[in-house]
Amino acid sequence: MGNGTSIGKVRGLGSAHEGAHHWLVQRFTAVGNLVLMSWLAVSFLMLGDLTYSAVSNWLAQPISAVPMMLLVVSLFWHARLGLQVLIEDYIHNSGSKFALFAALNLSAIGGGAFSIFSVASLAFGVQT
Amino acid sequence: MNNRPLSPHLQIWRWGPHMLVSILHRVTGDGMALVGLALLVWWLGALASGPQAYELFYGLATTPFGYVVMIGLTWAFFTHLMSGLRHFVLDIGAGYELDINRFWSIGAPLVAIFLTSAVWSYVFLR
Repeated sequence: MGNGTSIGKVRGLGSAHEGAHHWLVQRFTAVGNLVLMSWLAVSFLMLGDLTYSAVSNWLAQPISAVPMMLLVVSLFWHARLGLQVLIEDYIHNSGSKFALFAALNLSAIGGGAFSIFSVASLAFGVQT
Repeated sequence: MNNRPLSPHLQIWRWGPHMLVSILHRVTGDGMALVGLALLVWWLGALASGPQAYELFYGLATTPFGYVVMIGLTWAFFTHLMSGLRHFVLDIGAGYELDINRFWSIGAPLVAIFLTSAVWSYVFLR
């Protein structure tokens, strides 16, 4: 391990042991998205009518609320991984990168939590 | 020397369908992550907030601009789905033969356009 060029600093250190995990989870969540988005598409077709009463009654049932929550988790996870790659590829300043990762994590977890809570409040019949 | 492959260089390359499908995969994926998920959050939040909030979402979604966004997201979804399925095939080590690879690079976005028009024809014509 040298201390000169950028490649010299990392040569011989081996793999970071994190790339494969990201790669695999991107694919596992892709399968989740495929299955659950198919469910959502079929549900919309069977529902036909997307007005408030039709959709809220449908989504309040456990058989729809649970897959919707799972879809939210799968979509947000997959999107977080994809946007991470976007940031890694185009943002080369480590300060900006850190700020964007923080914003990405906050919005992915925040958006996911808000969505799941919304479905739960419909399912448990809490009306505001 | 004429048939030798060009080395990857910033300014020396020829446009090909493989580049297009790769760029489309990223653009549609990140586009859906930014626009599609924002709308999903809005839709679910409106549902949980009651009929008035849902009416606002529903009203805006069914304006001409709303339809443009929804059709765009449908196209992005099918394009990302088809190139994603292509990636699954490539991941198992298949489909790297030059002609097959080229065929599906062109095929994936075309199938996506067909599926998008099929869905929206069904919605508008039923």
